[in-house]
Amino acid sequence: MSFLKPKEVIEEGDTVTLYLTVNSMHAIEATPTIVNKKGETIEYIFQTSYGALKVRNLIGVTYGSRVELSKGWAYVLQPNPELWTQTLPHRTQIIYTPDISMILFQLEVRPGSVIVESGTGSGSLSHYFLRAIKPYGHLHTFDFHEARVQQAREEFERHGLGDFVTVYHRDVCQLGFSNELEGKADAVFLDLPAPQLAVPFAAKTLKTEGGRFCSFSPCIEQSQRCCIALQEHGFTEIRSMEILQQEHVVKTRTLPVLDLEFLKHKKPSSQKLNESSTNESNETADTVKTPKETKKVLTSSAPPTLPGHTGYLTFATLPPAFVR
Amino acid sequence: MTKTEVNEMSKIQLGDYIVIQRQKYTKLQKFGNLDTTSMLGKEQLELRGLLDQPYSATFKMCPKETTPSKQRGQRNLRLHTLELCNELEMRDIRDRLGISASGADNRDIIDDGDSQALRPQDIEDLREQHSESTKIIEKIVENSKTFHAKTEYSQEKYLRKKEKKYFEFVQIHRPTLRLITEIYYRQDADKVMGMRMDTLSQLISYSGVSAFGNYLMYESGTNGLLPASFLNSMGAGTEATLVHMHPGNVPQKQAMLALNLPHEQLQRCISVNLYSVLREYYQGEGQESTEVATEPSTPLEEIEPSSKKQKLNDDDAAPTTTSSTSSDSNGENNTSPLESSVNIPVQAQKWQVENRRACELMRAKFDGLVIAAKEHPSNIVQALLPFVKSSRPIVVYSQSKEVLMDLHVELKSSSNATNLHLTSNWLRYYQILPNRTHPEVNMNGNSGYLLTGYTIG
Repeated sequence: MSFLKPKEVIEEGDTVTLYLTVNSMHAIEATPTIVNKKGETIEYIFQTSYGALKVRNLIGVTYGSRVELSKGWAYVLQPNPELWTQTLPHRTQIIYTPDISMILFQLEVRPGSVIVESGTGSGSLSHYFLRAIKPYGHLHTFDFHEARVQQAREEFERHGLGDFVTVYHRDVCQLGFSNELEGKADAVFLDLPAPQLAVPFAAKTLKTEGGRFCSFSPCIEQSQRCCIALQEHGFTEIRSMEILQQEHVVKTRTLPVLDLEFLKHKKPSSQKLNESSTNESNETADTVKTPKETKKVLTSSAPPTLPGHTGYLTFATLPPAFVR
Repeated sequence: MTKTEVNEMSKIQLGDYIVIQRQKYTKLQKFGNLDTTSMLGKEQLELRGLLDQPYSATFKMCPKETTPSKQRGQRNLRLHTLELCNELEMRDIRDRLGISASGADNRDIIDDGDSQALRPQDIEDLREQHSESTKIIEKIVENSKTFHAKTEYSQEKYLRKKEKKYFEFVQIHRPTLRLITEIYYRQDADKVMGMRMDTLSQLISYSGVSAFGNYLMYESGTNGLLPASFLNSMGAGTEATLVHMHPGNVPQKQAMLALNLPHEQLQRCISVNLYSVLREYYQGEGQESTEVATEPSTPLEEIEPSSKKQKLNDDDAAPTTTSSTSSDSNGENNTSPLESSVNIPVQAQKWQVENRRACELMRAKFDGLVIAAKEHPSNIVQALLPFVKSSRPIVVYSQSKEVLMDLHVELKSSSNATNLHLTSNWLRYYQILPNRTHPEVNMNGNSGYLLTGYTIG
């Protein structure tokens, strides 16, 4: 139930984000017991790279607290769409925060919006839609994969979001978004291999006052076909873009500093001696003795691998019926 | 909401902010009264004709008369009225002109500056005679020696260029956060602290703002864009509130007002002066009263709200000096600067009421913290973090990376926050046309930077 609104204490049944490190997070359900493979009810012990966690102990703990693991510790955070996207069980490829943020912004989603989405996939984007449209709006989400539909339904219910979403098992490319939804949507989002097939249905399901449209495609050919279909069906303001988020890894580095100035001049002491043969040995002895100078520098660098491509986003407006 | 209300809302009304679009150019304008005019390049538009017309409609710019220029050396303004355009004559210009011949490549085209037979004066005269861009472009094409030898693509480009110049239709839109963000960034990115659309969209996501919860924001000059985007995400008729701290006497509010939000929703943005509210929180009420107007004498004040507002919109120039109330939306609290300086102690001034409301929320703590500061954010974060609950998002925006690198190190060593990430964005637009798909030639390299994390402890 931890997705409905900000809360302070972990209750039984909450989904909890267990934060170990920047690269290691888990989503776990706060239940004292689970049913194992043999059908027996057993104590829920969650294994992490820093040891085991007795999940029972999480209940009643304040979100943001540090919890002890058998070989270390972790933080328990209240999940939100950003953390969920990083920890959710993948049933499909998912869309991540940078693209999703632009999708919500461009679709002008706000509390009260009615959104049509296809496909549901793993529900990464759906959770963002739901946060944005609560408490008055509704999300109608479609997928042609029956098992995924069922999993998504249960997940929304567990997360306390069931009232704001309807999950349909339906192939929208062939059957559209159903007659009941005709003229109901403020925005339509498509993540389909052949978005152009669903564009005519999208036009039908948008309100007579008009609305916004988005299609996400990994391949440019899909976007091309989609753009042609959009033009044919009276959409305007058609724009395509690509977003990549870059991470900057911040690190304080300690760098040695070389002193090269002294090489330009003979040492006064050795000049006195005026013996060229002993000069060199003296110099080397000196440099060894003086401690090496260092400088601390705050640096940022790109991580060794980073996303080079996610997908092309195509946005469009369907004008109100009287100007179509 | 009833059906008639919806219909009323989709009509253009006096007092509305509107977005005027001419081809790709868009502009934010307040339709303050019937005599309001708006400048579009060299064209001056009388907005009178828009009243009670539907949003999203297209209007034709009809030339009225040429006003002789009052100042020497200035070119004549062309004054236009706007008429609702019923028949959609905005077909493809190529069809309208009936162009059929085109060349295969550009081997025979020489740029000798002699291909256009019309002189600039002739074209000016044409513009006086005809209001329709089609007629003007037709004449220009007729008098071009090279047009028919150009390739089809290059003809199209030529026509697009000419159409852009002589296009006589405008469309009126209801302002949305998306349109406002785009207009602000294009007109002057510095005035919104270089907040690009993609970065703003992520700031909204990471902050977790929604219809539930109380949010804390410090912002030093985005023309109201940042609080507007929060109000937009908080929605109408919900329980969410925003405490919006700013460094000046008067908060910048234009973007908030431009969204034409219901009064109830605007009320849930509590705008307070950062110094004044913190002093009240720690020292109690009555410590400041007279000081508040002079207190926050940061250098920022010189480039503060009122002057900026005027540039975009003259009708909105009311808020100026002394009282922090005067910029309020519906003018219901229009104390003149004179009156407020007299300081009637009986009734609490608006800023005092707002300070009280803010302090109450600060004691109850917030569900998210967002900072977009022109100042170094370290002290601001340090001052505001104690007001944020545990396990809540923090987002700090800055135009430069180094500032956030400092903050990253500080937050990491303070162990007040975890899951710290410093990010920036890369945004590229595409031209998608059959056989001519490629990234757009120019892209913008300044996304700004975000430092995100979660409070712990």
